[in-house]
Amino acid sequence: MRLLVVEDESLLRQQLKMGLERAGYVVDDAADGRTGLFQATEHDYDAAIIDLGLPQLDGISVIRKLREAGKRYPVLILTARGDWQDKVAGLDAGADDYVVKPFQLEEIQARLNALLRRAAGFASPVITCGPVHLDTLAKRVSVNGAGVELTAYEYKTLEYLMLHPDQVISKAELTEHLYAQDFDRDSNVLEVFVRRLRQKLDPDQTLQPIETVRGQGYRMRAMD
Amino acid sequence: MVTARIVGYSLQNRLLVAVSVLLTVFLGLTGAVLDRAFRSSLETGVAEQLQVQIYVLLAAVDEADGDFYFSENLREPRFSQLNSDLYGFISSADDGELLRTASALDIRYETLGLGYNLAIGETSFGHLLPDEGGEFFVSSYTVTWENRPSPIMFSVLEATDTFGAEVANFRSSLWSWLGGLAALLLVLQVSLLRWGLAPLRRLARDLKQIEAGQSETLDTSYPRELSAVTQNLNLLIQSERKQQSRYRTTLADLAHSLKTPLAVIQGELGSGVAGSDQGKLMQEQIDRMNQIITYQLQRAVSAGNASTLARQVNVAEATAKVGRTLGKVYVDKPVTIDLDVDSALSFLGDERDLLEILGNLLDNACKYGRGKVLLTAALESVTPPRMRLRIDDNGPGISVADRDRVLQRGVRLDTLAQGQGIGLAVVVDIAASYGARVSVEDSLLGGASVVVVFDNIRVAH
Repeated sequence: MRLLVVEDESLLRQQLKMGLERAGYVVDDAADGRTGLFQATEHDYDAAIIDLGLPQLDGISVIRKLREAGKRYPVLILTARGDWQDKVAGLDAGADDYVVKPFQLEEIQARLNALLRRAAGFASPVITCGPVHLDTLAKRVSVNGAGVELTAYEYKTLEYLMLHPDQVISKAELTEHLYAQDFDRDSNVLEVFVRRLRQKLDPDQTLQPIETVRGQGYRMRAMD
Repeated sequence: MVTARIVGYSLQNRLLVAVSVLLTVFLGLTGAVLDRAFRSSLETGVAEQLQVQIYVLLAAVDEADGDFYFSENLREPRFSQLNSDLYGFISSADDGELLRTASALDIRYETLGLGYNLAIGETSFGHLLPDEGGEFFVSSYTVTWENRPSPIMFSVLEATDTFGAEVANFRSSLWSWLGGLAALLLVLQVSLLRWGLAPLRRLARDLKQIEAGQSETLDTSYPRELSAVTQNLNLLIQSERKQQSRYRTTLADLAHSLKTPLAVIQGELGSGVAGSDQGKLMQEQIDRMNQIITYQLQRAVSAGNASTLARQVNVAEATAKVGRTLGKVYVDKPVTIDLDVDSALSFLGDERDLLEILGNLLDNACKYGRGKVLLTAALESVTPPRMRLRIDDNGPGISVADRDRVLQRGVRLDTLAQGQGIGLAVVVDIAASYGARVSVEDSLLGGASVVVVFDNIRVAH
């Protein structure tokens, strides 16, 4: 999952970036409203965290403009004052949730998780695709009730595919959303992860939850 | 006492009283002068007429053997008619009355007290009030008669009745004209005053509209004498609003610059000493600082907000905004927020404050309720307009013992239990700054019901 963090206070921005990266997200950051808006409209993020009190262009304007530019990904606002006019203005401009400063990283993660899930159309924190269950809160995966041990990268790949069921996800898109920019796009690491995932989820190859669409990418089959 | 004086203290009334006094004095004096002039001219006329009558007597009187008699008929018929209002006497100091006209046969000469102190050829004119009653004008003229040692005095008396009637007539006509004139002038004066003072009344009305939040500034089309005042008032209003907004911006910046470092500390704590005793202690202190900053800044912003420069905020629109926001926030929790708000109601004050009250109360209801929230806002009384805002939930409610405590104003934040929100305390403070009352009741939905009664309300027609 690729996130954008727009926060002017550099220490807090670094903290957020590091904390979220530890939690498995790929994080881009911006220190002012103008840069933030540029990045927010240039790339397709999975979610953005935007502070309301930004230099050059305030947070509400950033949100309004990125929505005007047709970006639909969820936006979480950070507000220092925490009064209702800010919250109402932020959510009216197109944000989806707010967190009042100071906050705990866990709170941000929980809100982000819920936003990402909702954006994908899932009401419950546990996403189900046939016999495959993915608990976005506990970050656990089970098949037919039996737990499956996945590495962080494997989990991220599966989560992204499951949040976009029945959609063909190109390797480029997967790479962009799952890995930092310095990741070597030509390597076959992605194919290795997908192969390992298939082995772990479906050792006897009866389910075949992840399909390869030749020349286009991968698709998670929506199974009933 | 002071209030009563101020209520009846009207510039128009003052001017009206002053003008009425002026009119009364002016018209009264005019009337008196005219009355006097008329009387004196009438008296002069009477004196001249009586003088003529004396000449008539002089021409008709003759003497033979010491007795006076009328040698010919008097040309004035009133002299020949008994008890007409015109009487003639001829007398001398030595002999007393010598002759009288036929009209004066009933009059007792000695009661008249005419006197004989005139020099020869002198005429006197005056009033006579005889002992027997009546009032006369009298004109006397003294001559020397041949063979008579003492001068002969010719006197003509005329009753003042006709004169009195004429004067009375004149007076009644004079005063009724003057009265009519006074009434006309007063009516004119009232309309002129109303016209002249109209800009002041308009100014008062405009100021009321600003107070009521119906307009932002004063009209610029005032007369020259007032435009300096209105321009200054406009500047004052604008500067007060700018000041208020600057104040809010400063406080917002302050909140931002205090809370961001707190967020950094909090973040460091999360990765470092979390879980240890030290970590817990630091976390507690961070929470306290955060609550104090939030609460005190909120108080500072809303304190004294019930200013006379209110704006109006439609309650239904504000409620819908907060409802939409909470609908997004609580999308994972199945909460139904029902809003039943009279769309004619407007809150006279700052939108930020109303949103804060609505947001905190609705958020609490969503948080502590079990999925059902009902907000009703309706007129409780029409004059004065009073709105009853009620937020019901189906949560566990607030026990009677706790109600007073949660509604206490200005509770020191360090006395709040850990995790206790400051939402309600903020609501109570903001409500108090507008003179609104907050109470907690049992809800029909089964949980708590928070009721806020506002007086700063305007009803659209």
